[in-house]
Amino acid sequence: MYPPKFDYYRANSLSEAFSLMQEHGGAKVIAGGHSLIPSLKLRLADPGALIDIGRIGELKGITANGNSTRIGALTTHAIVAAAKNLPQGLTEAAGWIGDPQVRNRGTVGGNIAHADPASDLPTVFTALGATINLTGPGGERSVAAQDFFTGLFETALQEGELVSSIDVPTNGGGSAYAKLFNPASRYAVVGCAAQVKVENGVCSAASVAVGGLTSHATKANAVEAALLGKPLNEATIAAAAAQISQDLGDDVMGDLHASADYRRSIAPIYVAQALTAAASRAG
Amino acid sequence: MPIQHIKVLRNGTDEEELKVVETTGLPTWDADTKFTVVGRPQSRLEGLEKVTGRARYSYDVRLSGQLYAAVLRSPYPHARIRHIDTTKAEQLPGVHAILSSANAPDDITWYEEKSKLFDKTLRFIGDEVAAVAAESEEFAQDALRLIEVAYEPLPFVIEVEAALQPDAPRVHDKGNRVDEPTIYERGNAAAGLREADVVIEQTYTTQTAVHNSLEPHGCTAFWEGDQLTLWESTQGIFETREQVAEKLGLPEHHVRVVKEHMGGGFGSKQVPWKQTVIAALLSKQSGHPVQLMLDREAENLAAGNRNATVQRVRLGAKRDGTLTAILADIQVVVGAYMVGGEASEVNGMYERLYRCPNVRTEQIGVYINAGPCVAFRAPGHVEAAFALEAAMDELARALQLDPLTLRNRNYSEIDQKKEKPLSMPNALQVCYERATAAFGWQTYQRPAPTGPKRRGIGIAAHEWGGSGQPPAYAWIKLNGDGTVDVVTGTQDIGTGARTGLAQVAAEVLGLPIEQISVHLGDTAKGPYSPTSAGSSTQASVGPAVFAAAVEAKRQLLEVAAKLLEEEPERLEIRDGVVMVEGEPENKLTVAEVTGRLAPHMIIGQGARGPNAKDKTIRTFGAQCVEVEVDVETGEITVLRVVAAHDCGRIINPTMVDSQVFGGITQGVGFALTEERIVDEKRGLVLNANLEEYKIPTVADIPQMTNVPVNLPDLAANPTGVKGIGEPPLVPTAPAIANAVFDAIGVRLRHAPLSRRQLLAALATQAESIDKSAPPHTQEGQS
Ligand SMILES: Cc1cc2nc3c(=O)[nH]c(=O)nc-3n(C[C@H](O)[C@H](O)[C@H](O)COP(=O)(O)OP(=O)(O)OC[C@H]3O[C@@H](n4cnc5c(N)ncnc54)[C@H](O)[C@@H]3O)c2cc1C
Repeated sequence: MYPPKFDYYRANSLSEAFSLMQEHGGAKVIAGGHSLIPSLKLRLADPGALIDIGRIGELKGITANGNSTRIGALTTHAIVAAAKNLPQGLTEAAGWIGDPQVRNRGTVGGNIAHADPASDLPTVFTALGATINLTGPGGERSVAAQDFFTGLFETALQEGELVSSIDVPTNGGGSAYAKLFNPASRYAVVGCAAQVKVENGVCSAASVAVGGLTSHATKANAVEAALLGKPLNEATIAAAAAQISQDLGDDVMGDLHASADYRRSIAPIYVAQALTAAASRAG
Repeated sequence: MPIQHIKVLRNGTDEEELKVVETTGLPTWDADTKFTVVGRPQSRLEGLEKVTGRARYSYDVRLSGQLYAAVLRSPYPHARIRHIDTTKAEQLPGVHAILSSANAPDDITWYEEKSKLFDKTLRFIGDEVAAVAAESEEFAQDALRLIEVAYEPLPFVIEVEAALQPDAPRVHDKGNRVDEPTIYERGNAAAGLREADVVIEQTYTTQTAVHNSLEPHGCTAFWEGDQLTLWESTQGIFETREQVAEKLGLPEHHVRVVKEHMGGGFGSKQVPWKQTVIAALLSKQSGHPVQLMLDREAENLAAGNRNATVQRVRLGAKRDGTLTAILADIQVVVGAYMVGGEASEVNGMYERLYRCPNVRTEQIGVYINAGPCVAFRAPGHVEAAFALEAAMDELARALQLDPLTLRNRNYSEIDQKKEKPLSMPNALQVCYERATAAFGWQTYQRPAPTGPKRRGIGIAAHEWGGSGQPPAYAWIKLNGDGTVDVVTGTQDIGTGARTGLAQVAAEVLGLPIEQISVHLGDTAKGPYSPTSAGSSTQASVGPAVFAAAVEAKRQLLEVAAKLLEEEPERLEIRDGVVMVEGEPENKLTVAEVTGRLAPHMIIGQGARGPNAKDKTIRTFGAQCVEVEVDVETGEITVLRVVAAHDCGRIINPTMVDSQVFGGITQGVGFALTEERIVDEKRGLVLNANLEEYKIPTVADIPQMTNVPVNLPDLAANPTGVKGIGEPPLVPTAPAIANAVFDAIGVRLRHAPLSRRQLLAALATQAESIDKSAPPHTQEGQS
């Protein structure tokens, strides 16, 4: 397997990236290459030209900023996993991505721009209420994670735009991520991210999202509603987790690894796992 | 020292033995022999080369002007090639040679003459359509895209039951049954069932599993004049030479096959496949060396697999557990062709493992339109064990007996098929005792369930061949400086054969292992040795090295005796020094002796002698397993496996451990995750890659313990060694399935034990299970 022919351009700054993108219509930007190169090799994509944004310093690094932390799009999963000032649900999800090679090359921006239904980070960012910052030749705009993922490998990114960074709130409470791994790739067969706040012994805020089940990361509103005002114990968590079938509707996908029925039947287990861990971290 | 060379001439049904050289008086390594090198852990001699990446595998061969080949494979499970046009591909720059049914020799046949090298009828997805040699792998792949083929798709059949219907699409003209059924019966099985107090009747199925050796199949072919050299990833350099010579009409001395290092074969490389001859022909056509390595997809489609089976099993027993009948009706799904090599005798274990007067087996092979099967580590036995050992567990439950008790009650000390004694009648007994003791079988306390997690334990046993046999040859050359070259035409397929053979030579010659080099894997340099299959390399070639070393030592001591003015009988070699018994001062180093002789040289020749005729030599083993089952997700986690395997004398405990751990790992894959999945509507293999075909990795393996069983078997050969390559995989899957039953009271009879199967089985039995308590209590444990 080897990719179709392509021209290679390296952008050293954002503005250079935009002018290269304008110059070469149909070109793809490449960050870590861990999703793009496989699809080229499988000849699922044939963009003609690649624009390497991997060395643009402006898009790298993690900076705390009051009640939120900004993660540059080119930050690798390994760096996120090791970060101290990020919600635990995010760092543990990043640490469970693939294997060390994947985590050392794959980037947060590439992960969410690619929007694989089995990816972990879309689910986490959705649950954490993160904001995705996009940059285009015309300037910047921001989209809530929940609105960014729109379908199977589809996002709110528009032609000529790049993901520049993600803002993650750090005052949302205890968070956690749970997933059933694909045993080979470690992608999520089912993934769940949860964040909860506990005040006076009851749940005062809950945000839950699942991935791997439907075409894109899904917010679990029914689960969240069932938690509010309740003490977070085994029984209330189990009851809330069972609500996930409401949130999923009929759109659960199946494949070789796991049928739709199987995914649907085990979803509550991972929702409960994530909630239990998040509750224990809510302090 | 006499060398034995036995030739068996078959003349109709008569067997005649021709003793070319008489053999008598070879010493033996009996139970009292003291060792210095044998029996000690020894890391692989080539280990450093391998872990530093310097060891060269088939893919690493780089010759000047070398071309790279790629194969166009059938996209249809059954089709006829109407027309093939390679013109555009030929015109691509960098392309040097193309072969297809349009220009390949018509008289080279494959698969029992059922297919030509490039046949116009294609019988599975992956069947060879055309091949290209080009200046890079990329050029070759581009060229494949330019080959135009008009296919006429034909009706096909994927499912075994469908294949056996009278109106099923025919894989071959004569139908989908490979042959008449193979039937075996002793006693009266039907009467045995009638005598029984309890009868177990169940159908078990096993999946198609793919070998997926880390190093794929392939070779580099190179002609110098009419002399063909093949660097081939093979388990049998001589087998490859013989077959390639025959297919290409070459005399054997014009074909040389080389195999230096190898990343596994597991049976799939014990026969040469079409690609070897294709590479040779592309090389001839282009005048360049040609490398043809399979990619992972081809490896999964067209390089062999373990046959799926359907096994209907009936066991009859008296109340006390005594077996009165064993019956098995077995369907073996062979794929589109019979490949040759070791046969998959699923029936064998039913006939041998347990003492039973009434046994009947019937086995039939079935063709379907999918990649052909070939021997896979303990062919037939892995499949049989999954069914027989689960059925025995079911019987034990029905009789409320401990599964170990039931096995002991039906222990066989003889070869019931041939009515001969076993060479080691208590070997399996020892395996049971050591495995269960180390595991704590009798004293196991089931932990209380935690949340959805349930624990359980299971046991399974097996038997296998592995005696080794003649012929195999080796030479020992003593160099002037006292070092030794061991030369033999065997191959090290990744098992560590080099090291085991060096240990044998070092022991006999009284030399440190550092003074020994083993040269193997080259038909032009070493004498004949058999294909490394059937767990036989150490047991077949080891004794030849032993005999050669004994002979070299005899010559050495004769010379030393002259120099020391002593009788050779009074001399012994220890740590590289020739000493006179009782006279510590009177000695010479081996190097001094060989130095005096140089440049004259001592050469010992050795041959593998025959096995004892009056006994049947088998290997045995037992494994105990503890699992944890998550009744919510259906996930099965194998927590620990304790294994005890009889392999005769242990030459190298480290390498025996390696074989056992590797076998268990493959067994865990077979039990839980590995399965070739074919879409029945289109015949497509859906997981012809390592992302979707799930082999266990280091992250998935349980805690493994190998309890050594060191029982030298001198009926096998003077070194007392038997094989260990295949057996460790055999009992793992049934032991896991039995442990799953023990944990949750649900029987899974279809390998692999998928989560889906487990949850479905739980759901059907939901009413009868009280989730708060363990589902049942075993005798002797609680
Ligand atoms: C073996 C393996 C295992 C994996 N396991 C997991 C797993 O367990 N969980 C998981 O979530 N992921 C997993 N991944 C995916 C991995 O995390 C990828 O690295 C990631 O999805 C893509 O990031 P990248 O930087 O490699 O993107 P690239 O491959 O470079 O790009 C992917 C796509 O995004 C676009 N793109 C990249 N950066 C930007 C940007 N800043 N703005 C706009 N578009 C952009 C590209 O044009 C391309 O279309 C795995 C990948 C592999 C190869």
